[in-house]
Amino acid sequence: MSVKNRNKGLTRVREIYQDRSCRVKELKAEGKKVMGYFCIYSVLEMMTALDLVPYRILGDIREPITKADACLPTVVCPFVRSCLDLALKGKYDFLDGVVFGHVCDVGEKTAHIWNIYLNPPYFHFIDTPHTVHKAAVGQHKELLKEFKKTLEAFTEKKITAVGLKKAIKAHNQQRALVRELYELRKPDPPLISGIEALQVMVALVSLPVEEGNELLEQVISEVKQRKDGPQKKPVRLLVWGSIIDDTSLIEMIERLDANLVMDDTCVGSRAYWSGVELTKDPLDGLAYRYLVQLKCPRTFREVTFGETKKDYMADLEGRFGYLRDYAKEWNAKGVILQSVRYCDIHGYEVPGVKDYLDHVGLPNIYIEHSYTEAALAPLRTRVQAFLETLG
Amino acid sequence: MTDEKKKAMNRLQTMYPLRALIDEMYKRSVEAGKAGKPTAWCMVNWWEGDPIVKAMGMETVYPENYGAACAATGAAQAYLDRSDSDGFPTHMCGYARNCIGYTARMMELGEIPPEAPMGGMTKPMLLVGAGTLCDARYKWFQVLGRYLDAPVWMLEIPHPGVREFMMEGVSEHNIKFIVEELREFVTFLERLVGRKMDWDKLEEITDDIIAINRLWFEINELRKVRPCPMHSRDFWTCMNASLYPSGDLKVSLDLYRKMYDEVKSRVDNKIGSVADEKYRLVFAELPPWHSLRFFDQLAERGWNFVIESWAYHPPKPIDLSKVSDPLERIARHTYQWLTGYFENAFNAGEYWGYFAYPYLEYAKDYKCDGAFLHPLLTCRTATNHLMLVHDRLMKKLNVPSLVVEGDIVDLKLFDPVDAMRKAETFEEIMDHYKKVRREKGFDW
Repeated sequence: MSVKNRNKGLTRVREIYQDRSCRVKELKAEGKKVMGYFCIYSVLEMMTALDLVPYRILGDIREPITKADACLPTVVCPFVRSCLDLALKGKYDFLDGVVFGHVCDVGEKTAHIWNIYLNPPYFHFIDTPHTVHKAAVGQHKELLKEFKKTLEAFTEKKITAVGLKKAIKAHNQQRALVRELYELRKPDPPLISGIEALQVMVALVSLPVEEGNELLEQVISEVKQRKDGPQKKPVRLLVWGSIIDDTSLIEMIERLDANLVMDDTCVGSRAYWSGVELTKDPLDGLAYRYLVQLKCPRTFREVTFGETKKDYMADLEGRFGYLRDYAKEWNAKGVILQSVRYCDIHGYEVPGVKDYLDHVGLPNIYIEHSYTEAALAPLRTRVQAFLETLG
Repeated sequence: MTDEKKKAMNRLQTMYPLRALIDEMYKRSVEAGKAGKPTAWCMVNWWEGDPIVKAMGMETVYPENYGAACAATGAAQAYLDRSDSDGFPTHMCGYARNCIGYTARMMELGEIPPEAPMGGMTKPMLLVGAGTLCDARYKWFQVLGRYLDAPVWMLEIPHPGVREFMMEGVSEHNIKFIVEELREFVTFLERLVGRKMDWDKLEEITDDIIAINRLWFEINELRKVRPCPMHSRDFWTCMNASLYPSGDLKVSLDLYRKMYDEVKSRVDNKIGSVADEKYRLVFAELPPWHSLRFFDQLAERGWNFVIESWAYHPPKPIDLSKVSDPLERIARHTYQWLTGYFENAFNAGEYWGYFAYPYLEYAKDYKCDGAFLHPLLTCRTATNHLMLVHDRLMKKLNVPSLVVEGDIVDLKLFDPVDAMRKAETFEEIMDHYKKVRREKGFDW
């Protein structure tokens, strides 16, 4: 289908959601290189600046994991196993290269396994530091310089300051548009459902940034004008936790008479809430944004650098205060905390985040699932009971 | 009958005083707590933070070691249950759950729980977390804020990929980063403890730790001979004095020297650590601490565990004598531990330079007939690489692996009867591949 005749707005979003790689495969056929990346710590701007198409590696909850069993034990994150499984089955064969960050323990180790078993034409591992200390930001900048070197060697092109700034602006625009889209979830009823919002977010990580921005503008315009948006429901919810890259979980929640109006997950808001400052050396802004401003529990933070006494509530406020703000601004009456099984970085957070939400008076429930559709069915009753307490 | 079984494994006599050092570590820490002296709980940090904490006069204990101690004495279950009932997911690290449960109970009682093994761990003034190897080892201390008001310091150490490690300048900026972080750590501790760093003391402690690890490395080198003079059980007991450098390090160094002499004497006299060494095995990664007698049963069958647990071995020695800054010496020593195999891994076309690749060298250098892989149901870190190790050992060296699932703390997750059944069958497989290796020109 030519660009001119292509569907627009939410129809186009659904097309891409159903067949994520359709567009990048077209681009590849036109001679573009597609760069797979895992999680949200790979610096997209540097790929965009070299005219590479960043494409986020996601799993598939409908595809049984079979091949990855030979490389990754069953006791590790099923999302990561699913991603590797898809790759081993050839479903990521169209990628010209792969970039991993040191996102979490299992993610880091899977990077090496991926490199060994899939041997992509280009592979780079960014060893993202764990703290937000000043030295860690400096170290991160050094790591980005290395990333730049290997990208330049692979593409046989140079990343120029002008090109990088242009890419930063394009990605910042996308982040601003996503925030604008999320504004449309504030009215009651929200103008866009949780299912649709997730489909948009999945589409965005499957397209070049400029096309994603164009699509976002279409979606925002369409959603503002349409008359058949989501219905008002008794409960508005916020969802927190590990990756959600499939609408099944959201469908289960929204079918239970609730609107999911805000999220703190990494395909959702977490990847878009902060922009990159246009610093004199663009790598400074990128190093800071991708280490300090991305809020994922994989990063160790403290209220005050080098604090000599721990104040638990101050610590929770520092780490989770934004959830209270989200709930207030999006008028969420309850929070669903969810995680895939074996996700340590989210698992350790659960009692703390529950303590915080209890402290600020936000009802909450924790559900854990094994990244399969079947695993969601038993959770339905628990979520339903939770909604009844809110209704 | 029981006595005969015990004799199947010939334990090192010099192991016992080294083991006793760990008992003393707990005692010293409790006494320091009672006397109001500064105490810290530390994650294993591979000597990155230990010398600094020690030079600041803090007494340390290591909750990971305490997890193993609680597992071995059967005390862990109640602490695991307490962690579960406090809402922590059950799939989390067994050591962490043990520590969370222990801490919750200690703070509830207002004192060390009376049933705590080894005299317990005293309430700490500081928690030293580490990003090394796994997420649990900083997330776990972060969540202890629920029970303790002790601050957490998080030690950073880079984990480069093998290819990235080979890039020009990478190691130098990694070392620089570690040193900068350690300098901040010193400043932080000075504020916390209220005294200045004794740099001479730090020099001495750092050098002692490096000397201990060099000797410990040499002891393990002696295990390459047939019959192997030292079993993994002795390694696991004696690794603690290296990994948990508490107390007088001159004493530790002296005990390791004595151990070297004993192992060397065994080598010279062809004395093995099992009575009749029939199979030589490499063990990965952490053993079932609650069921170590399982290895005695295997020893009766002639199974000798000749090398093990990459993560707990000392670094390959490097010359640090010309590095004048003790913080840089510390940084280079720990970085060498993590990346010491990377260049060889790169040359072998292997891209997981720690945890996975070293087992290829181990199997080859220690002439192993098989690998015993122990996936831990609550430890991703010690498990992630095992399928890869299994695959590479077979593909590259024709060394088969036996996979037996279990856990370091939760004894319900390990079935020794089933494991023994598998082991019996595995002997035929090891015999078969011994022939295959010979046919293919391998020298063992």
